[in-house]
Parts: sequence; C-alpha cells; structure tokens
Amino acid sequence: MHDAGAGRMARRKVATQKPVEYADVEPSAFASMLGGLIEANVESRPEKRKDFDSLAARVGIFVTDIDEGVTLDFQRGHLVVHNGLAPKRDLTIRAEAGTVMNLSNLKIGLFGMPVYYDEVGRGVAAKLVRGKLRIDGLLGNLATLNTVTRIFSVQ
Amino acid sequence: MAVKAFSDEWATKFKDEVNRSSVYKSAAKGWKWTVGLVVEAEPDKNFPESKGVVMDLFDGSARDIKVGPAAEAQKCDFVITAPYSRWKQVATKELDATKGMLQGKLKLKGDLPTIVRYTKASQEMTECTTRVPVEWPDEK
Repeated sequence: MHDAGAGRMARRKVATQKPVEYADVEPSAFASMLGGLIEANVESRPEKRKDFDSLAARVGIFVTDIDEGVTLDFQRGHLVVHNGLAPKRDLTIRAEAGTVMNLSNLKIGLFGMPVYYDEVGRGVAAKLVRGKLRIDGLLGNLATLNTVTRIFSVQ
Repeated sequence: MAVKAFSDEWATKFKDEVNRSSVYKSAAKGWKWTVGLVVEAEPDKNFPESKGVVMDLFDGSARDIKVGPAAEAQKCDFVITAPYSRWKQVATKELDATKGMLQGKLKLKGDLPTIVRYTKASQEMTECTTRVPVEWPDEK
C-alpha cells in the first residue's frame, strides 16, 4: 500500500513539472529567451515534444558578438538552462546573434533533416563554410544537432 | 526635414517608410498582430514622460502607427520596452535590435516563436526607423 501511494505521488510530480527550468536565480535575457522559445515550441507542437522527450545532451550556444552564452541541459523531457557555458557539453554552437536567430528559422524537411537549400538554410551553410558558425563536438553528435535544431526551429 | 522623436509627425513618417519597404512587405507576409513600443521616460535626457507607439501591422503593411500613452502600447500582442536612450541607440544604428533583445537591453513580451519567425521583418522595421530624420530631445 505504501509503495502504491508513493507511485501516485511520483506520477503527479512529473505531470506538473515545467518542461523548462533555469539553473540560475536570475537567468540572463538570452537564457530566458532560448528557454521560453523551447518551452513554447514543445508545448504547442507534438512533434517537437517527441524530440524533447527523447533528447539527453548538454548543448552550449555562444553568441560571439555579445559575448554571452547558455548551456541547454536536455534531460529527456526536461530542460535546465544555465547562464554561460557549463562544463561537459556534447555540442557547442558559436555564432553571431543574427545567425543564432537564423538557426531557429531553419525549415525541417524530409526525415526530420534541417533544410539547407532555401534562403535561410543557404545563409546558415555559408556561415558554417566561412567559419562564422562553429560547431564544436559535431563528430559523433550529428543526430543530436539535428534533434536540437528541430526542437529549436519555429518553422 | 527632421521631426521630433516619438511625435505624431514621426509616427506618420515611420509608417510611410514601412509601407515603402519592399523587404518589409515580403518578410512580414502573414503577420497579423499589433506591436507596442514602450519608450520609458528619462527626465535627465529631456524625455520626461513615457510614451507608447502602437503599430497596427497586417500582412506586410502598416495600417496605422500612432503615438500615445505607454499604457496603450502595453495592451498590444507584442510589447517591446526600453528607456528612451536605448531606442535612440536603435534608431541611430548604435544598437542592433536583435542583439539588444538577447542582452535584455530591449525587453520583449509576446509569443517568442512568432517573433523569431519574423526576425527579418523586425530587422527591416528597425531599418525603417533609421531612415526617418529625427530631432532628439537631448540634443537640443
């Protein structure tokens, strides 16, 4: 009986837990914006929720022209957003503010792959080629990058 | 001829610039929400009272842009708030609006996925403000 009650308590906790939380008492504007964007996406789009529920990875995003970064700690259905770049990241994306915004405007095409052949996609690909968009840890984490892009995309 | 910042004349010129922009027209296709800009008072900069800019934007055009009390702008679907001097930095290209939002220098309220989807339109709208010659109250 005791165990059954504890089980019900645990389920209730999961049901009311917010998908996105902040590690810092005062999240930076950038952390709040990324966290808010992801929260709105996963709450309104079931296909993004599915990706969100399956992803376990620590992803850093650093905006080079404002010298600010965040770490997104995805924990299968829960995200903790940290101000700044926290250690043990699987992937780190470094780009200017405009490029970071463009990453969230990438369309998602066949097989859930980001589209790099339209105007926004070509712009992002060109930044990658010119070194204006750097992705550390890409080797071995391409699937993670695609999943993060899908969660992040507003298209 | 330069017009007073955040005056009725400024609103008319700003609206004309937006409606002249082919970039805005194409980037804002499908936009159907009101946008309010709250310009917070800075008495030491000769801007003693907060003002609100209410923009009725629809499908790539500006149907109306007017200046009034800040409370009116706060009722819009999307609200961007900053002190007078920050808005001046945006309008004089000293501060990029996207960077300003990521840094918290411009505070945004509204549905984030929607505003991010229209990043290009909002950047062009900022460009339109820079094309209006302005007489700034702290430069008198």
